[in-house]
Amino acid sequence: MSPHNGITPFYFGLPDKPLFGCYHKPRAGRDRQCAAVICQPMGHEYINCHRALRHLASRLADAGFPGLRFDYYGCGDSAGEPADGGIARWMKDISAAISEIKTWTSLSDVCVIGVRLGAALATLTAVQNGGFESLVLWDPVVEGRGYLQELLSLQKEMLRFRPKPIRRKCLSGFIEVLGFPLSNDLCSELEKINLLQISKKPARNVLIIRSCQSGDEGALEGHLNQSEASTTGDLLDIPKVWLPTVDGSLLVPNKALQSVVSWVSRIHA
Amino acid sequence: MREQAVVFGESNSLIGIVTDPSEPSRTLNTGVILLNPGVVHRVAPGRVYVKIARALAGAGFVVLRFDFSGIGDSAVRRDNLPFEKSAVAETQDAIEFLKGTREIERFILLGGCSGARVSFRTACSDRRVVCAIPINFPVSDDEDSNPDLINQRVAQYYWKFAFFNLKSWIKLFTGKADYSKIFKALRSQARRRLSSERTISSESPQLAEDLNLLGSRGVRLVFLYSENDPRLGELREAGGKGLKRLCELEKIQLEVIRRADHTFSSLDDQERLVEAILAHVETITPARANCASTIRDGNRAAHQVLGLTCTEAQPG
Repeated sequence: MSPHNGITPFYFGLPDKPLFGCYHKPRAGRDRQCAAVICQPMGHEYINCHRALRHLASRLADAGFPGLRFDYYGCGDSAGEPADGGIARWMKDISAAISEIKTWTSLSDVCVIGVRLGAALATLTAVQNGGFESLVLWDPVVEGRGYLQELLSLQKEMLRFRPKPIRRKCLSGFIEVLGFPLSNDLCSELEKINLLQISKKPARNVLIIRSCQSGDEGALEGHLNQSEASTTGDLLDIPKVWLPTVDGSLLVPNKALQSVVSWVSRIHA
Repeated sequence: MREQAVVFGESNSLIGIVTDPSEPSRTLNTGVILLNPGVVHRVAPGRVYVKIARALAGAGFVVLRFDFSGIGDSAVRRDNLPFEKSAVAETQDAIEFLKGTREIERFILLGGCSGARVSFRTACSDRRVVCAIPINFPVSDDEDSNPDLINQRVAQYYWKFAFFNLKSWIKLFTGKADYSKIFKALRSQARRRLSSERTISSESPQLAEDLNLLGSRGVRLVFLYSENDPRLGELREAGGKGLKRLCELEKIQLEVIRRADHTFSSLDDQERLVEAILAHVETITPARANCASTIRDGNRAAHQVLGLTCTEAQPG
């Protein structure tokens, strides 16, 4: 099952809790000794970023890097419901995706690329697993509490300009953000995320892409440098791709894609 | 229920997920195909296509949700076929795929926004389609390239809901309203009004012809609309007396999901959308029609909206 654009969709992981993934075959003749795993954001951010991340994986494949994009348990095309997810579960999913791409490619080096919450999860997984070779953090969620506030503000803003839902049932144990449920347990877990408190370096080389000046991410760069990770920051004039657009379109910020591909190509030359 | 990633199409370039019922004996030999809502991939906003697919598989249907070329994970086409033609051709590829792999002969097409247009067009051109459920069907093809979509939805909200809400008026007169947003919404509404009159008059004859064609072929056509979607009024205007007559003859149904917005952006909207779809598709299979009519009677109440016989999804 290999379509002409080099993307192979498949399920992997536990048979009763399969995860959906898309394998991107590298362009022939440009094989590199490193594979890429892309960790997507969550909820509405996942929907809005899907197009950009598909293009990113294709660009990396064009540069010779085999890649895997995957959906966490309870997200996208993977099995389960969003309410069944959680930080620990999704970190295991990242580890499963890394194992999967290693099996597909027989490569031992993996560059993990995460966007927003996906970046935070990738960092935490890296610390837990003893560090990756390289890590790209695209507008990472540095501090979970602030991220949660952002989500709630967005939901509040959305409710201002739409009819109030009829049932308005108090979802016991859940809050709702743009059509996705967030369990109270997950909210508590999110509140505990603080990448400025990690004590080990998550990777030998780290690239942080920022679409805006933000103190959090600037501080993260400093913090990671202190942890002896060779950290590069790239502040780009690009839109926040995870947010809904005025006309409903899905954005693909070329500068960010170029930045990631050229950095990964340089690190894994 | 079992989900499988599939690749199909003329050049093996279309990617989708088939959701099969858990018990093969429950298969109803009817396939449901979900078509991309605009440029969003096959999961759809709020992951609602996954919910719909799983609910339908639970009711015995084989469901395929896939990406048109250039959307989601599917490759870009190498020819220059315009979307309105390639999308119909690719929907027929999906039909062929399910026919070939699942021996299914009857199909239900379902899609939001541009997917609604494709479901309607394919139903017109392919006799294997027994039912189409366009969701928030746009009368013209221009809708997806609309740079002012959010303002139009806000305008619709002001007109249909905030206008009748005392709190909104208090906000307006106490300086707490978002005046810039109100101005933009009004301006956008005025623009839309002007352009939609042109669209409606140009699309109306073809729409009438297509509705009659589907009616004469006995294709079940169910238009589902969010109450807050401006396209509902446009369909009523474009369809005119012909649409009204077909609704009265029960050849076409037009159902409004109350207080839902265009993308079904609350869990509650999504739940009622899934319920409405289930209630409709279950009546497609004769063996289940009696059972389904009981569900429908219990869950929904008939009423008149501007002279059309419509039904309105109620809280269950």
